[in-house]
Amino acid sequence: MFEVDFFDSKIIEGTTTSIILDNGNIKEVSVNYTKGAGIRALSGGSWGMTSADGDFDLNKAIRAATELARGMNERSSKEKVEMMDIVKPVVRNLPKVKIDPRDISLEEKVSQLNEIGKRAKLDNISSVSAVYNESTYKMMYSDSTGIEGEYDITRTGFAISAVASKNGMYQAGRESRFGVTGYELFEKYDAFALAESAAKTALELLEAKPAKGGNMPVILDPELAGVFAHEAVGHASEADLVLEGSSILENRIGQEIASPLINVIDDPTLHEYGYYPFDDEGAQSEETVVIKDGVLNSYLHSRETAAKLGGRPGHSRAQGHSRPIVRMSNTYIDSGKSKFEEMLEEIGDGVYLIGSRGGQVNTGEGVFQFNAEKGYLIENGELKTLLRDVSLSGKILEILNNVKMVGNDLSMNSGRCGKGGQLVPVTDGSPHLLVSEAMVGGA
Amino acid sequence: MDMYELARKGLKAATDRGADEAEIFIMEDHKTSVDIRKDEIEGAKENISQGLGIRAIVNGAVGFASTNIISRIEDAAKSAVSSARVRDSDPDWKSLPSNGEYPRVSGIRDPELEQMELDDCISCTVKMLEGAKSIRGIVVTSGSFSRGFGKRMVMNTNGVEIEERSTGISGFTDVITTGGSASTAYDFAISRTNDIDFLNIGKNAADLADSSKNGVSIEPQKTNVILHPFAFSDLIGNAFMPSIDADNVQKGRSNLIGRIGESIATEKVSIIDDGLLEGGIETGQADDEGVPSQRTTVIENGVFQSYLYDSYTAGKDGVKSTGNASRGSYFSTPSVGPRNFIVDHTGTDIIAKTDTGILVNSVIGAHTANSISGDFSVEARNAFMIKDGKIDKPIKSLMISGNIFDMLTKMNGAGKDVRKVGGIVTPSVSIEGMNVVG
Repeated sequence: MFEVDFFDSKIIEGTTTSIILDNGNIKEVSVNYTKGAGIRALSGGSWGMTSADGDFDLNKAIRAATELARGMNERSSKEKVEMMDIVKPVVRNLPKVKIDPRDISLEEKVSQLNEIGKRAKLDNISSVSAVYNESTYKMMYSDSTGIEGEYDITRTGFAISAVASKNGMYQAGRESRFGVTGYELFEKYDAFALAESAAKTALELLEAKPAKGGNMPVILDPELAGVFAHEAVGHASEADLVLEGSSILENRIGQEIASPLINVIDDPTLHEYGYYPFDDEGAQSEETVVIKDGVLNSYLHSRETAAKLGGRPGHSRAQGHSRPIVRMSNTYIDSGKSKFEEMLEEIGDGVYLIGSRGGQVNTGEGVFQFNAEKGYLIENGELKTLLRDVSLSGKILEILNNVKMVGNDLSMNSGRCGKGGQLVPVTDGSPHLLVSEAMVGGA
Repeated sequence: MDMYELARKGLKAATDRGADEAEIFIMEDHKTSVDIRKDEIEGAKENISQGLGIRAIVNGAVGFASTNIISRIEDAAKSAVSSARVRDSDPDWKSLPSNGEYPRVSGIRDPELEQMELDDCISCTVKMLEGAKSIRGIVVTSGSFSRGFGKRMVMNTNGVEIEERSTGISGFTDVITTGGSASTAYDFAISRTNDIDFLNIGKNAADLADSSKNGVSIEPQKTNVILHPFAFSDLIGNAFMPSIDADNVQKGRSNLIGRIGESIATEKVSIIDDGLLEGGIETGQADDEGVPSQRTTVIENGVFQSYLYDSYTAGKDGVKSTGNASRGSYFSTPSVGPRNFIVDHTGTDIIAKTDTGILVNSVIGAHTANSISGDFSVEARNAFMIKDGKIDKPIKSLMISGNIFDMLTKMNGAGKDVRKVGGIVTPSVSIEGMNVVG
């Protein structure tokens, strides 16, 4: 009925509720009902894609996508794209929701967030903001090869930011927790204690000293090392970037690219924020070992990149009904054997970098830059002066090779990752890492 | 159902359930885009997006709901009212905007773009590829073309009723050099009318990547830095703009609290926020809550003049909204956002005037800037040494750090190359004594 080589559709329907607390007041309570479809069609080597909002006619949208694909293929014909055949996904091990957030009244959620705000309002904290988010949606997938599947998923989370000010200086502290759980998230995490901890970080940073830049040995805390795993290693292992020539990991499978202490894993089956039972192309989710004992083991694949490079699909994701692209899920550097105290002893003098205020990476050139939330000067194996506005930059492969110790204290952090203008929920993690030489930047 | 009828139905549903005031924002967008991946046109997309957001006010508390399922407009109105009811009355809430006189604007709707066929979209995309391939050893890693048209409508119970139509077109090319030294570069352009030179986008990106090959290392130093519009707009957007947002000011999150009338920049620079700029990316008769657009002087000859307000923050300060309510989408409530943000400084041939210094084309990591203090530490991309008034060797890797407010006082020149980087309109600027680490 549709004369193309392949087509598929993803339909999502759900409700999102968010509550925003700003400067101690509830700034926004909002509810969104959404429904939409993303449809792709493939003709030869050309993709056509349509998306539609609300009450749409699915057949009409598929027809529009097939016309685009065929039109493109006629006008600029190119190498045929193959989609790897897959088996029908099995939805297993879905996270169980203990407390459906929709069963909790808006009043209760608002008062919970208000209390979180109050806990962060310590002396000298000039403003506090916090946000609560819940989404419940149904995902339905089907394609022209007969693959189909559907699941329902619930995500909840909260984030707190506290700003301290003194003598014209401002510093912020942040904490957040997100998961594939219901309202029991607040049983798992002590949001009030986290609010106090965000405030204390901001206050501490008022007294911190600016860092001096230069090359030096560093210890990365699990949060910053997790950001490194995600931003620097994870993105470079996305096969679409490899194929377009934007990754320094191109043609490196089987090569030793990191210290043998390094194992990097992307695992969408973990019940963390980046969880999914099958990806947005219907491929079963499975653990992928990206780096095994320092050797590049696998890229992350979609059905298209897996067919082209060889590999296993299962890492294709889309925000809502956008076009699916190769993405990470739950990405982490696996635990090693070292204790934090041993790292301090080993490093002697250096800098301990903690937390992350975001970062960016150029996967093509293999360079990155991340700003830490804070840091400590390490002198004679002891944590000394607290540092603010401190950053880490350098070459991805150099850092990977310079890792001398991997901690035994893996911990995970959740958030959202942007690529191609789309945000998807992800988790990243790592234990502490000792890096023998890295570029530390100051303000 | 027609849009006006739908909006009235939504407003009625909200007031019937007890809302004192209500507002409907409706958005509809048609977009066609063509993507490039590794030197080839990968595919085309057609997106039709539409949706509506409802604000309902009950006893001075604002609730919000949104949907893209038109048949659920009454559910959304109901949710907006119930979310208002769980909030305390906000003593700072005045009211939704009232009907105003709307100025005329021009250059934001081009019928050519509304009627553009897939063939034309493809040939614009092909031009970007051809431009890039005119330089040897260049691979276009990714790129995109897009054109769109749409409408926005705001209707509220205070008599505001405005509908605007506009169009847009844009092109983006990201390239990498092949062979020994891999260097990357990008270029893009965005416009309201069909006037983009797509060949040039590809060529500029390719030229820049090609001339960035075989970079050298440099010693850490304090030097004159010339920032291309891409680099400067990125820094000003992330490190300066948050401080003039009245919402941040009122919450103690700005470096410019109580500093109106103070000299905060060199007297040669002025900054204007202009919702009326002809053909501007952020131009429109009204902002996203129906307040008439205007031209607001932010900095005049170095002196700080005004914050930017939406109607809520204006009500709180007892001033008039500057027409800066902005919504990312129908599912977002309005917040303060810049319109066309124009950096005005007399232009000269700044590179020729620079004995020694560094040219930075773009930066990565500007979003990590401290949005309150204005401190930043970013990685410079496509940086070059400047020697005796000429662009010299490319620099391999470079971090620049500083403070945006400090930079405004140390600006010692600007180029003639004014560029619209989205809503930010700026020339290249020259800053003396910036810290760089190679």
